[in-house]
Amino acid sequence: MPNIEDYEAMTKISLSEDERAVVSDYMDMLLDSFNKLEDTDVSGVEPLISVLDVKGPMRDDLVIKTISREELLSNAPEQHDGYFQVPRTVD
Amino acid sequence: MKYETVMGLEVHVELATKSKLFCACSTEFGSDINENVCPVCAGMPGTSLMVNKKAVELAIAAGLLTNSEISPRITFDKKNYFYPDLPSGYQLTQLYSPICKNGWVEIETDAGKKKINLVQIHLEEDAGKLIHDDWTDTTLIDFNRAAVPLIEIVTRPDFRSAEEVVAFLEKLRSLLSFADVSDCKMQEGSMRCDLNLSVREKGTEKLGTRTEIKNMNSLKAIAAAIAYESQRHIDALETGDEVLIQETRRWDDSIGATFSMRDKEDATDYRVFPNPDIMPVFIDDEWIDAVGSNLPETAQDKFIRLTQGLGLPEYDSEIITRSKNLSNIFDETLKHFNNPKEVANWIIVELLSIAKGDNKGEDDVRIDCRKFAKLIELVDGRTINRNVGKKILSLILEEGIDPVEYAEKNKLGMINDTSLITSTIQEVLSENPKALEEYRGGSKKVHGFFVGQIMRKLGGKANPQIVNKLLVEALKEI
Amino acid sequence: MGLFIEDYKVSGADTVALEDSIMQKGKQVTAGSRILDNFTSPFNATVVDRLLDGGFKISGRTVMDEFGLLKLSRDDDNTPSGALRAVSEGISAYALCNDLFGRYRGEAPKNDCCYIHPTYGTVSRYGLIPLASSMDQIGIVCKDLSQGFKLLSHLAGKDPKDGAMFPDSSYNYGTTDEKITLGVPRSVVEKADEGTREAIMDFIKEFSSTDINLEYFDLYNQVMYILSSAEISSNLSRYDGIKFGYRASGYTNIDDLYIKTRSEGFGLDAKLTAIMGAMILSKDQYGPYYEKAMKIRRLIKESVKFDTYKVIVLPCRISDDPYENLALYSLAPLAGLPSVSFSYKGHGIQLVAGVKKENLLLSTWEVSMA
Repeated sequence: MPNIEDYEAMTKISLSEDERAVVSDYMDMLLDSFNKLEDTDVSGVEPLISVLDVKGPMRDDLVIKTISREELLSNAPEQHDGYFQVPRTVD
Repeated sequence: MKYETVMGLEVHVELATKSKLFCACSTEFGSDINENVCPVCAGMPGTSLMVNKKAVELAIAAGLLTNSEISPRITFDKKNYFYPDLPSGYQLTQLYSPICKNGWVEIETDAGKKKINLVQIHLEEDAGKLIHDDWTDTTLIDFNRAAVPLIEIVTRPDFRSAEEVVAFLEKLRSLLSFADVSDCKMQEGSMRCDLNLSVREKGTEKLGTRTEIKNMNSLKAIAAAIAYESQRHIDALETGDEVLIQETRRWDDSIGATFSMRDKEDATDYRVFPNPDIMPVFIDDEWIDAVGSNLPETAQDKFIRLTQGLGLPEYDSEIITRSKNLSNIFDETLKHFNNPKEVANWIIVELLSIAKGDNKGEDDVRIDCRKFAKLIELVDGRTINRNVGKKILSLILEEGIDPVEYAEKNKLGMINDTSLITSTIQEVLSENPKALEEYRGGSKKVHGFFVGQIMRKLGGKANPQIVNKLLVEALKEI
Repeated sequence: MGLFIEDYKVSGADTVALEDSIMQKGKQVTAGSRILDNFTSPFNATVVDRLLDGGFKISGRTVMDEFGLLKLSRDDDNTPSGALRAVSEGISAYALCNDLFGRYRGEAPKNDCCYIHPTYGTVSRYGLIPLASSMDQIGIVCKDLSQGFKLLSHLAGKDPKDGAMFPDSSYNYGTTDEKITLGVPRSVVEKADEGTREAIMDFIKEFSSTDINLEYFDLYNQVMYILSSAEISSNLSRYDGIKFGYRASGYTNIDDLYIKTRSEGFGLDAKLTAIMGAMILSKDQYGPYYEKAMKIRRLIKESVKFDTYKVIVLPCRISDDPYENLALYSLAPLAGLPSVSFSYKGHGIQLVAGVKKENLLLSTWEVSMA
């Protein structure tokens, strides 16, 4: 049985005790339902990544400026001197 | 030697595109902070990714230059992890369908020639830059480098010595920079490498415990890190004092040692899966052939052209073809003044010594090649002398002056007027009877003294060959 | 609770409400999540530009479930979502939204509305807050399918800003002379309530029809859940409190900033999906869950051949359990197919056709309404 705390750490989410109980119940239900996949033989089947069977369009190597720095930073919760700002990541 | 060091490399090379891998932001180095960032490379929702065709072409070129198989169909994968330099919470890379596979590069060391095998070359995006600011005690993020295209070149564990590793990186730099795939500057971070190292007893098959070393940003640092880390492994094997663990270690160049990066979790589960939003890119033979036929001359081809075609000495050709930049300057200057020997000479002797004085490497010298050619022509045609030429070269580099205009305006042209030179010789001889006496007594040294005096009177601009010739004649008549 | 987050106070036959997942330049866009608090869109979604070019007016931005995620709880209140209410209450002629899990497709018939879910890759997703990229598709809530398809003709067609689309620059939606044979998956229809079963039997009488077996139907919801939660989990990782949107206060270090921001910013459905998605993509589960689901997705896509039948008829509800009902709404997104849902004799009916075969859906609907 997967350990919910491991996935909380992976997704940077910390569940409260109540939330963890709910998530745990759903997880049990879902994993139980996933067992059904085992009965299907998929040998020789290629995974389907996208239903679209088209060639990826490519872009020429041209520089286009779409938004100003001011506009970009206007959405930032914290900024400083043109930078995005976060707590210190190293000592 | 009882032990053998076994190494493999992961080399990241920034591709020389103008725009980023999936959006049209500029990749220019040294732009203002967060100036080259748009909703796509800031990880905003609602955006869509468009693959830069040029980036794919440069990766194909890298594959061709390293004898790799090019995949006919490539896709991109999402590698998920949180770090503040990664705007989307995932890096786009190619785990499941790398663009190139199974290549090799031949290197040459004192021990001889050897093939280094490549596992793969894949395309991926770079991350932003973190600045740790003491003043605010925070970390500041600049996303200008975020999503700049990279290729990662992964070798097999084929290296056995630091010489081989350095030779490989030099070869790679030469191949990729001459093909304009990347400028491959380790100092600026456009070429970075991580090293996997383990030590085993010679003659045994099983690989020892492997450590990964990061943060080496020069060839010298790499060689030093290899020496240090090999010894650390050998000491551990010999004494048993330290138990080696598989881990990532950081090279500290100022201390000259590697240190465990405990904060870096080696067990990170990146949850890589194919990105369904980027449709597969198809690479057919026609495209590969077109990229191949448009590849510029390699350093090796150029060396042959310089030595065999242009008759330059191997020494000169070696220096010029060591750097894409120098060899570009050479070719470009040659277009305006077709004298390979003189051009090579001026690059190697004068241009490089000025660059060295300015603390610039051979890759960083920039010069207007037309002006450079004019200058060489002025000296070669004896319009100005070499010393004046050197001064003008500095002025071209510093102020961008035009050498012809400058020489004319400042009357720097050489004096070739024989009557003026003859009368000056007579003046000098009559003003220095004592020296003349010494000459008559057989002292050849005073010849040089006379030349110096004549040159001084003529402001250093007299054509030295004419001065010499006329002085010899004048002295004979005495 | 009001149905608009922002009400532009316009009305008329050419008004379109936007679900809060569709981005408008200069407007706050939150997709119903606190994590996007204060996020101002720097650009217009392509569908917004196309609406304005087509002379339509935007009536407002409607409230929605957080990101439009699947709600697994059975006891949620039954209030229809904002986009649906805007149309059913006559405030707006149309509404645009991204119906990944069937909420709108299920609600529309109950509220006297229709829903059009176009073929994947025909309507630009540029400017749509993503859920599961391989299945997201902007659709239309409308009162009348023929009107809805007229609106769709303004929206559909290749957008150079969206890299995952069919190359067709435009589509003509209208009725078709093609003979319509309905495929009726008996075993699925049997699961619906009696009224719906009777309505479907009446419905198919008007056409030639054949019984079909929807192979893998009992795996639809699992495959749908596995693939969507993995993709969503990754798409939600951009919300970290650094570049835009909500940032928690009182954090002590970078990890704490991430965790507080995401734990406070996401609701329970987002947390569950992110965690399930991470688990599904993790080293040990990738093969048995994610990769296998991708393979079964191919089998599902290839199993609906539209050879002896042209249109599949499905009910809109087979269970009180939202997870079981999900199976009804999974075929279209998993196989990239168009579908419509509407009310027939007071019961919800869903039709699914082949890729770009929207005209068959419109024709079937018109015949049934005649």
